[in-house]
Amino acid sequence: MENFKYSQKANGCGSGGGSSNKTDIQVPIELHACMGLNACKGHDRYGDNDCAGAGYCATQVHYCHTMNNCRGQGGCGLYGDTEEQCTPGANDCAWQGSCGTPIPAERFITQGKSKGRSVWQLARKLFEDRMDNANRNVQEAPFRYGPPIKWLQDNGRGESCGYSGHKNCAFIINAEDRLKAQEKSSRQFSQESARLLDNTVENCNNCDEVENASLKKK
Amino acid sequence: MKKGTLFQLVDDVTPANLKQAMQQAIEIEIATIPVYLYTYYSITRVPDQGAITKQILADFKAQNKCEKTDAELEEAAEKLGLDIMVFANKAGSLIMSVAVEEMLHMSLSSNIKNALKKYGGLPELVGKTPKHWPAFLPGHEPPFPINRAKLTLDQLYTFLLIESPLPVVPDPKSKAKAIPYDTIGDYYQKIIDCMNKYLTDDDFDADAPQLINSKFYSQNNVDTVYYDADHKPQFSNEEDSGGLVHVTSVATAVHAMDEIVEQGEGATSKTGKKGDHLTHDGKVVCATKINPLSYDDPSKGELSHFDKFLEIYCTIQRTNHDLNMFLGTEDFDYTKYFIKDLPTNPATTDYPEDIQKVCTLNNAIYTYLFVMAEGCYKKKGHTQFEIFMFGIHKTMIWLLNTISDSMAGLTYTDPKDKTTKCVSATFEDYDFSKSTASPKEQVIALGEIAMKVKNSIINQGVLDIIHDLPDVEL
Repeated sequence: MENFKYSQKANGCGSGGGSSNKTDIQVPIELHACMGLNACKGHDRYGDNDCAGAGYCATQVHYCHTMNNCRGQGGCGLYGDTEEQCTPGANDCAWQGSCGTPIPAERFITQGKSKGRSVWQLARKLFEDRMDNANRNVQEAPFRYGPPIKWLQDNGRGESCGYSGHKNCAFIINAEDRLKAQEKSSRQFSQESARLLDNTVENCNNCDEVENASLKKK
Repeated sequence: MKKGTLFQLVDDVTPANLKQAMQQAIEIEIATIPVYLYTYYSITRVPDQGAITKQILADFKAQNKCEKTDAELEEAAEKLGLDIMVFANKAGSLIMSVAVEEMLHMSLSSNIKNALKKYGGLPELVGKTPKHWPAFLPGHEPPFPINRAKLTLDQLYTFLLIESPLPVVPDPKSKAKAIPYDTIGDYYQKIIDCMNKYLTDDDFDADAPQLINSKFYSQNNVDTVYYDADHKPQFSNEEDSGGLVHVTSVATAVHAMDEIVEQGEGATSKTGKKGDHLTHDGKVVCATKINPLSYDDPSKGELSHFDKFLEIYCTIQRTNHDLNMFLGTEDFDYTKYFIKDLPTNPATTDYPEDIQKVCTLNNAIYTYLFVMAEGCYKKKGHTQFEIFMFGIHKTMIWLLNTISDSMAGLTYTDPKDKTTKCVSATFEDYDFSKSTASPKEQVIALGEIAMKVKNSIINQGVLDIIHDLPDVEL
């Protein structure tokens, strides 16, 4: 499933819009950080997904670094140290999650050797590994590379924190041209992050080396 | 203490005054934080590209003294609009990246002081923000005023003097008194010399509370990011530029101070005069293209503070020069398109009553950050972790940053002259000792007052975050 195959309604920055026209379930069965990270049927935001990993959107929403209430709810990216940014949707404890949920497709890692790569794809990889260890099958996520910001906004979820501007955009005044450039940029970002995903995981497995780099340099 | 100065002078660092010298080092680092933050919030990091390009074109047409064609003006306006989109965000990113490292430097100096047994002690962080503005850094020759001011070439020049790796030779006529050091690097070198000469590793307590957990510090975050012309994210800091250091010995203390100096002035800064640079007599020379003097990390991915500021300074100067050549004007300044007209050295009392309430809350939050930081040097283990992660991080990102950014967008009508004036966070220390209530209780009370202001930028969400903060005593 490609990331940007659906109709475009976006104006300005942020493509990939369109409402799902679904209603949130009253009481989520499982609290998880984003689209495609649900452990079972009916565990997504709308309660009607078929299978593990196929759910639409997070059942737990918080805005940013240190704001999550429980284990496994941190979105990661944007804030936090290298180790924290290696555990999207897999943090140990309340308030230890780096950044908000849900995790937009455009969100990137800001610390460590994997700077500039997709957070959602790493979260999905960690989720798939967890399911694999539990001998569970996982379906494809509704969007291959995670939910675009515009889709999240059109479905009542906002973007997360920071003051440096839109995570994925283009500096073009003409709206139509900007949208095309933004789509291309998003596609390149997602595909490049996917190509480097094994290396991203490898970098995270070597987090200690990165954390101690400043001490070792002397 | 001389009015307006940050601390008393220390001519030579010896074991007898090492404790005072370390405290002074801490206060140097603290003094830079409100200054850099203030200037940071004057920048509109993400302007409306369409709107500024339209305004630029209108201004170009109004000031076109070289008879440029409409097509030429339109092309130039579009290019300048794009340049601003990149540069405004980059300038914000660079200044924030320096502010982040100044907080690291405060922590490194505090680690050293708390680790020193009889020569040190608890770092004093609360109430150490300069109370009088402009403030002065004694030890620099010549003394120079430091303002809380918007981003201008003058303000950047002050930043260059703060971070300068090279002593600026004063005009002999202005030399009023003996000067104990030429640069901050020189100051730290005096401390290093003292430690190397007189101290042994037995003088350090490795078990004293220090900020050493790797989760406490990351070189980059989303606010140190900017986007290049292709909108690819760029990161102003690098992981190998250094982080927190556990001070256990003379060598680790020296390592921590070397890191401070390298990040501020640059590790290779003594060599260059080929590119942009500051001359010994205090002139900024902007070469024809950016040619940084010095990096502060082995991989040469991060500029020193000095060179980050020099890059901003010279980019503005070069761009304005080119624009004035293009238009045939003399004083066209493109920073007006992305710099807010913030006042210089405002006090809370300068503002109308409603804004004072928000400003006072922000000052209390700012001061509570130092209360919590000081608390981290009294407690170890999980308590320290919780104070830092759930108190300091949350306060910086979600309270101080959010409120300060919102305040910089406010205006009011001055009743004296009926003019519209801009508001800014003032970063003044709040005196928690005036009340018997705990600092957190006082911040909550101030939050409730600020929330009741008509059209307040303080909402229940802000108050909820304040309630979640750890309760740290003075």
